[in-house]
Amino acid sequence: MHTVWVRLNAVVFFGLTVLLCLSLLAALSKLGHANRHQPIIHKLALNSMKSLKNHGGVDRALLSFDLNVDMNPAFHWNIKQLFVYVVATYATPTNPKNQIVLWDRIIENIDSTNADGKGDGKIINESNVFVKYGLVDQGAELRGKEVELSLMWDHMPLTGMLYMGGQKEGTASKFVLPEEYN
Amino acid sequence: MFKDMVNKQVLELKKLWANKRQLTFQLLNLAMIVFSALMIWKGLMFATRSESPVVVVLSGSMEPAFQRGDILFLNNSVEKVYVGDVVVFKIKDRDIPIVHRILKVHEKPDGHVELLTKGDNNRVDDRGLYAPGQLWLEREDILGKAVGTLRYVGMVTIALNDYPVLKYVLVGMMGLFVLTSKEG
Repeated sequence: MHTVWVRLNAVVFFGLTVLLCLSLLAALSKLGHANRHQPIIHKLALNSMKSLKNHGGVDRALLSFDLNVDMNPAFHWNIKQLFVYVVATYATPTNPKNQIVLWDRIIENIDSTNADGKGDGKIINESNVFVKYGLVDQGAELRGKEVELSLMWDHMPLTGMLYMGGQKEGTASKFVLPEEYN
Repeated sequence: MFKDMVNKQVLELKKLWANKRQLTFQLLNLAMIVFSALMIWKGLMFATRSESPVVVVLSGSMEPAFQRGDILFLNNSVEKVYVGDVVVFKIKDRDIPIVHRILKVHEKPDGHVELLTKGDNNRVDDRGLYAPGQLWLEREDILGKAVGTLRYVGMVTIALNDYPVLKYVLVGMMGLFVLTSKEG
């Protein structure tokens, strides 16, 4: 049988198969890219403590940090955007491990300029950046705790696998929260 | 033109009905396609330990990362989830799962975790979306972590959901093709 329908069916399905194969190849072409190309983190450290207060039973710390990083190496042609975020990690008696995102930014592959229209948007070099989300504990156990600040990023592809990247173990900066509320 | 084609198909069906051996063969063929699809789905469920290994993004709350109509592949066999992971979770008594990113993780001494999520494109975290009074998500609420994405494929699903008639038309047409198309 060689009706129009059968032919249309064949063409559509062949087309879809080709598209799927191309997507697969695109995804496979950059496998292991993160092993060879790492963003260069020049600096991520606390700038200043703004406040540490107790609100309705939970502790909340507000702070600012300095960030200087070149995210260019993480990009390749199958990356749509990077989701870059700063994580605070600390331990309390109630929760042996707490991880809180303090700040995040989406860097799209196409926007090559900063928010102010100049410079490379994939290079973040900012000082005294105020947190987007407060460092809020589940209880009232933040005082005197050591906090580690580390930079992480999530690779969001056009098509294919999502994978994480992060600052190497042991290179993250640490600071200690004040002993008293202020 | 169109009538011609319909007539042809009807003729084919009539011929098929007369030839019982051929009819059985074509029906078995159809059944094989249906069951293969089912097997792949169930196999994926087993491999990913997720009740829905593939989901369609329905909202723009994760833009520009994921748009309406993208599909996500989920893996739920990971023991732990971390901040920054994109996860799909389900709120009790609500049908539609949500795709958002983990913003906070608090881990108890026994390994139990409490999570807070937020959509990349939303201005506030997800507490307003959770059940009344619910402050945290737990590991059991999560259907899986997004590990891969394919664009536009989910548009078909969205169209089928918006216009249920399309569903019957498409399934009917596909069934007809399988029944009337002959080898060689």
